[in-house]
Amino acid sequence: MGMNHRTAPLALREHYAIEDVAPALTKLVDRDVITEAVLLSTCNRVEAVACAPRLEVARGRLRSFFERDLAQGPPPDVGASLSDALYEHSGPEAVRHVFRVASSIDSMVLGEPQILGQVKDAYRAATAAGSCGGVLTRLFQHAFATAKRVRNETRIAERPVSVARVAAELASEIFESMADKCALLVGAGEMTELALEAMRESGLSRVRIANRTRARAEALASRFDGTAHDLEELPELLAQADVVLTSIGGHEPVVVRQQVERALHGRGHRPLFVIDLGVPRNVDRRVDELDGVYLYDVDDLGRVAEANAEERRREKIRAEAIVLEEAQRFDGWLAALAAVPTIRDLRNRAEAIRSRELERALARLESADSPREVLEALTRGIVNKLLHAPVSRLRAQEDREQGLATLEAARALFALDEREPEALPSQDEEPEGP
Amino acid sequence: MNLHALTEAIYLLAAVLATLGLALPQPRLSRAAVVALAGGALVHAAAFFQAHEFRIPPHVSGLPGAVSLAAWLGTLFFLVLVRRPRLRGLVVIVAPAAFLGVFFGSGGLAPAAAPTEVPIWAQAHVLLASAGFALLGVAGGAGALFLVQRRSLKRKQSGSRSRALPPLEALDRVNALAISVGFLLLSLAVVTGVLWTVEREGRLWPGSPHASAALVAWAIYAALVASRWLAHQGATRAAQSAVAGFAILAAAVVGVGVLP
Repeated sequence: MGMNHRTAPLALREHYAIEDVAPALTKLVDRDVITEAVLLSTCNRVEAVACAPRLEVARGRLRSFFERDLAQGPPPDVGASLSDALYEHSGPEAVRHVFRVASSIDSMVLGEPQILGQVKDAYRAATAAGSCGGVLTRLFQHAFATAKRVRNETRIAERPVSVARVAAELASEIFESMADKCALLVGAGEMTELALEAMRESGLSRVRIANRTRARAEALASRFDGTAHDLEELPELLAQADVVLTSIGGHEPVVVRQQVERALHGRGHRPLFVIDLGVPRNVDRRVDELDGVYLYDVDDLGRVAEANAEERRREKIRAEAIVLEEAQRFDGWLAALAAVPTIRDLRNRAEAIRSRELERALARLESADSPREVLEALTRGIVNKLLHAPVSRLRAQEDREQGLATLEAARALFALDEREPEALPSQDEEPEGP
Repeated sequence: MNLHALTEAIYLLAAVLATLGLALPQPRLSRAAVVALAGGALVHAAAFFQAHEFRIPPHVSGLPGAVSLAAWLGTLFFLVLVRRPRLRGLVVIVAPAAFLGVFFGSGGLAPAAAPTEVPIWAQAHVLLASAGFALLGVAGGAGALFLVQRRSLKRKQSGSRSRALPPLEALDRVNALAISVGFLLLSLAVVTGVLWTVEREGRLWPGSPHASAALVAWAIYAALVASRWLAHQGATRAAQSAVAGFAILAAAVVGVGVLP
């Protein structure tokens, strides 16, 4: 059960978001209603993944958990209530949802990589709080493996979709390595700073900042470990730069063709990547006509980002198929898990019959009966007692349809339609030595 | 086992994998193409030395043998370059070229019916010319990919396929290195060719169409190298020159050789 960016506005998600999940998990999990739980709280979703024996009771418990334990004071007046925002999935749908979340198919930005780390953190926190048992451990491990498969087998996370990341990726299509490159930031803006950050993550080390206001340039220079310059130094700075990022106010271009042409002569025809994020644009469009210069403005980057997003949307279909396949695999495991108590009871019953019959046979052996007769009686007794209950039930069926179904189940359970094996392997039987 | 047919099959497999790796695009296929190409180079070496009775250097005298040798040397040069992972995309040019080289040069791999002694200058000439041809071929391939990559960046059409190709800077570096070393080897091939002619015919210039075409190609490359290093030619012009230069060289050396 939970809410995400599609069902709840940010103000509502904030209201239920939680940082330290351990105390909340302790309140939520008990032996009867919620046996296991993991809490996932990110900027885009607040979700409780729970394991419960009775669905209806668990539903009420989870709802009150959101209302009482997660809510930070009275609900905000944002035109959306908790009941409108909450969604719930159970059974196979819930499994599929967890796999979709971990694989970033359910994310606001399709294929974004952060969510997998956040799901792993949530799982680790639940494990540390002791609220994660056998089922959820298996579920989350399977979710991580599914996310890995989606990432490896599809291109859902391959191409960036933010303008800043697109700029960094384009730089990597021009330059072999960013380690020896120099970036020149002209002006300042959130987008240019993000693009610069992304390039620094790719190894960019040298940064120069030119601004109309020296103080602002110095502030940015200290933040990016670069040097501050005045705008008048632009011609010399252009000759040294490999990447130029501009975002500065004004209606006239700050970087003109002649300046770049001169700079190119002084730089041995090394390529120059110019990212113009200014609106109005800061770089003369004719700069793009120069050989070795690659000029991208906001719209150009936006188009590349949109094309990448479209590619991710196409990949989503393949990712959904992988998630479905893995969810079915997990459901199979879960179904097998449900059979465990029945198998245990069946074995206990058979074992009790075997022990009783063995006691009886040993007593008869002591009273000097023939061993052959004793063994005959022992094995017949075990077979009769094992088959007594199922045979009685088969004979006692009154409802014709149910009777046929039971008969079919019996034939399947005892493999009556398969060829009788010559010798059934015993569980205790050891392979014979040479 | 027919090592020649095996070499052809492995190079063809590498070419198909490389093409699919770029078309889909799927980096795993490109990696597999490089591995296949390396395997092909090993089998190629075995086939070559078996055909030439394990002589070092092999006694290559004919054009098919020289083309096959060039394909092998070009593949080896690429395998050295590909230690830089970002140059892996070059496989899309190198693998088909290696296949075509072996396919065309099948005569050079066929076991010699009656091995003949090849003069030392002739051996040196063929080896140097093959190595030069191989490197200038790689330079041409890098130049072609540079132009494709540049076009997509200039047209703002960057996509997964551009990402699968090497970056412009790396392609330009390969182009510069291959063209410089290739030209040096080609120059040495011309010198050894002259020495061979002197030894054989007692004159400096044989006057054959092959010799004339090769000299023209050498002169063109000399101009390209001079404009690259002395006139500081830009990367785009250098890429165009490398492609055009190799086309002329291939036409001059191989074309003249196969024409009646």
